[in-house]
Amino acid sequence: MIKQSIIEHVLEAALSTGGDFSELFIEDKYVNSMELQSGKIEKSISGRDFGIGIRIFSGLQSIYTYTNDISEEGLLLAAKRAALAIKGGVTGTVHPLQKETFNPIHKISQMPQTVEHARKAAIMRQANEIARNYDERIKQVGLRYLDEEQNILIANSEGKFVEDTRVYSRLSIQATASEGNELQTGFYGPGAHAGFEFMENLDLGHYAGEAARIAVTMLQADECPSGKFPVIIDNEFGGVIFHEACGHGLEATAVAKNNSVFANRIGEKVAPDIVTYIDDGTLPNEWGSLNIDDEGEKTRKNVLIENGILKGYLIDKFNARRMNAEPTGSSRRQSYRFNPTSRMTNTYIAPGTSTPEDIIASTEYGIYTKYMGGGQVNPATGDYNFAVAEAYIVKDGKIDRPVRGATLIGNGAKTLQLVDRVGNNLAHGAGMCGSLSGSLPVNVGQPMIRVSEITVGGTKGE
Amino acid sequence: MEITEFQEKLLQKAMNAGFKEAEVYYEHAESFQCMIYDGEIDSYETSEDGGLSLRGLYNGKMGYSYTEKLDDDSIPFLIDSAKANADVLDEDDGTDIYEGSNEYDDHKFYSEELSNVHIPNKIELIRSIEEKIRAYDPRIVTLDYCLLQDFSGERSMANSKGLSLTEKKNGIIIFISTVVKDGEEMKTGSYINMTRDFSSLDADEIAKEAAEEALSHLGEKSIPSRKYPIIMRHDAAASLLAIFAPIFSAEKAQKDQSLLKGKVGMQVASNFFTLLNDPFHPDAMSGSNFDGEGVATKKQSIISNGTLETLLHNRKTAKLEGCETTGHAHKASYKSTLSIAAQNMYIAPGERTKVDLIASVTEGILITDLSGLHSGTNAISGDFSVEATGFHIKDGKIASPIKQMTIAGNFFDYMKDIEETCSDLHFLPDGYGSPSLLVKELSVTVD
Repeated sequence: MIKQSIIEHVLEAALSTGGDFSELFIEDKYVNSMELQSGKIEKSISGRDFGIGIRIFSGLQSIYTYTNDISEEGLLLAAKRAALAIKGGVTGTVHPLQKETFNPIHKISQMPQTVEHARKAAIMRQANEIARNYDERIKQVGLRYLDEEQNILIANSEGKFVEDTRVYSRLSIQATASEGNELQTGFYGPGAHAGFEFMENLDLGHYAGEAARIAVTMLQADECPSGKFPVIIDNEFGGVIFHEACGHGLEATAVAKNNSVFANRIGEKVAPDIVTYIDDGTLPNEWGSLNIDDEGEKTRKNVLIENGILKGYLIDKFNARRMNAEPTGSSRRQSYRFNPTSRMTNTYIAPGTSTPEDIIASTEYGIYTKYMGGGQVNPATGDYNFAVAEAYIVKDGKIDRPVRGATLIGNGAKTLQLVDRVGNNLAHGAGMCGSLSGSLPVNVGQPMIRVSEITVGGTKGE
Repeated sequence: MEITEFQEKLLQKAMNAGFKEAEVYYEHAESFQCMIYDGEIDSYETSEDGGLSLRGLYNGKMGYSYTEKLDDDSIPFLIDSAKANADVLDEDDGTDIYEGSNEYDDHKFYSEELSNVHIPNKIELIRSIEEKIRAYDPRIVTLDYCLLQDFSGERSMANSKGLSLTEKKNGIIIFISTVVKDGEEMKTGSYINMTRDFSSLDADEIAKEAAEEALSHLGEKSIPSRKYPIIMRHDAAASLLAIFAPIFSAEKAQKDQSLLKGKVGMQVASNFFTLLNDPFHPDAMSGSNFDGEGVATKKQSIISNGTLETLLHNRKTAKLEGCETTGHAHKASYKSTLSIAAQNMYIAPGERTKVDLIASVTEGILITDLSGLHSGTNAISGDFSVEATGFHIKDGKIASPIKQMTIAGNFFDYMKDIEETCSDLHFLPDGYGSPSLLVKELSVTVD
């Protein structure tokens, strides 16, 4: 994208005031997004994001600057301006750049930029029909189609020079059901690190059908009772609970400065034996997967908790300095506009031995959450909350009636200790995760699990 | 290439390529950001960036495209992409490119004084705030965020009907999250302030407010889960309003995505509830002299003493209903298609102070923060069930902070249940504002 000699000059200019490490992240990204509402394609936009992020380290200080002026003068100016923030120190040297190659794990067969809009629109229309025809109470269907082709180049003063192309495809389906003066919604948003082949092979009947079914089911749901209950969380996107409850607390962003309940606890028992928690950026074509992270490190399978014992953290190059540890291929950023930091990729609870039927049958009274909404955590305290999209009362070992408006709250470290069943049906769900380095595609996953007690906040005032 | 030259060239080429009308929108921004950790600069960021979009009427339909790479090669990319995007639409957008309003306010959203503050002075301010917070109380263990960010930006819109508008904006934000610990109990408190007046930022005052906010949460107690009268502090009330703001969009109503559809002229909230939109409010930061279509903005009331006066319109939704646009077309950036959003929407303040209001409550809960708003709320049904931070009020006094809890209700009921508004109007950085509110009751679940 830019001549190697210019890159070397910029890396050198960045170190001119005493920095010990410099890095360039060059991004050239093509985006297409379309929206369908009321049965019609109503919005469609295409664009090209293009810019460069320059990062400098000086000991435990991190300097970042970005620009989309890519002339040599513009880049040198930006590098020098950033370098001004550093006063003295041991100046690093720029090693000759060595082009790295790797075998891409995530094969792309149809680049979305080569597919005409009409074919993309056809997928949306098909999903719209399926959701609309599900039930006469489905009054509105909103669809959002997104594809991205992100070309990146990472070069640093240690001689790293590596390029990659990442392709993302996602279809978000929202169905609204209405009856009387009541509106309820259902959502499903499958996505992958893949090309248009993902859209063509997508089981629209399942995804659009489920979005519609959730909306209609919630029309008939009672208000959720409040209190402390055993909670059964189904597989796939249910994994958002551990993404919030412990994943964020295992990121170096929180751990390096002791702002996490999991800091300094490697080797300690933090969960029951049945809990193994993994972050794996290498799962082929999954939404949160990458060949290399945003520092150019190859992604890997990081076991964070193994049979209840804390084994590791997600670590980026900068926090590795403070932690005196090695990076784990976990450094990510939304775009060249963000200073990268440790983030999750595809994080999941490894499958256990219980069957979903047994888990439900062994629960006398509790809440079963079939689909979760999003959530949030305070990494310092570990206090989390998240919303339930589709929930049921479990009574005498059977799924009883649907309930709505449930929010689960608790403390991540404590909830982790209360996991008493782990099912055998692992699956992954796509989501967006927002944190310091922007909004990123991540998968959350798990088999069905049961937590012996979670505080459920409901709308039913009892 | 100079931007005005590029704009003209692109407009000309777009017209030659078959666009009937076209608009070029451009943004340029600069920013500085600094985080302090234990007296040291932990991160330091600067930026200069921008982008440009093309919006044009092609075969009767509105096509969009954008780029952050401004060179001659981008022109065919923009034109071809905008055409393809117009072609795939199922119907014409119902709008055309706007020729311009008769008059525009020339309100200033840019402070020369702020732009002249040097980086070392900004760093000194945030460093001093951090130092003062750490020294404030031994129960303060650390700060998990201590950030100062300033930005300045310029946007311009030029179209084939001769309209040409520009506007400059700047501001500075301070965001602090303080971690406090007493025995095993750990709490955080956050502080956020956005202003254009650098001289109003007093390190001592900010440190005190940030530290007290965190410390006030120590000593939590559990109370029974049930319905309670609620005082929503101004910032919590404004954040809830921001999340439910889409219910006021005419676009949402026209698509059966808002329960306010068909309610203009009707009572939708209590008599104490007046909702205003003021792009020029001196304390608020999301104003502008022109909206995303180039329409002049103005101050107006959305709800007046409980009666819905209007929904927020752009030219497309107004045309569909045969009314005038209210100037609420929203272009979040050059990367976005047009939508609808408020500019500084706020609940009108009342007479009494928050202290007086608390004194009048026998038993209730003061809510100071809401968390999980993006997931625990549904703007279509109006339901919300979110994590809340707050205090137990007993006999007109704050008795204690309350353990982790959720509050749940429905926003449409909530608007009807507002019994009083205080005098303490406060705006969030995103431009939504509210005074503290007394709400009849909400379901509260305490851990």
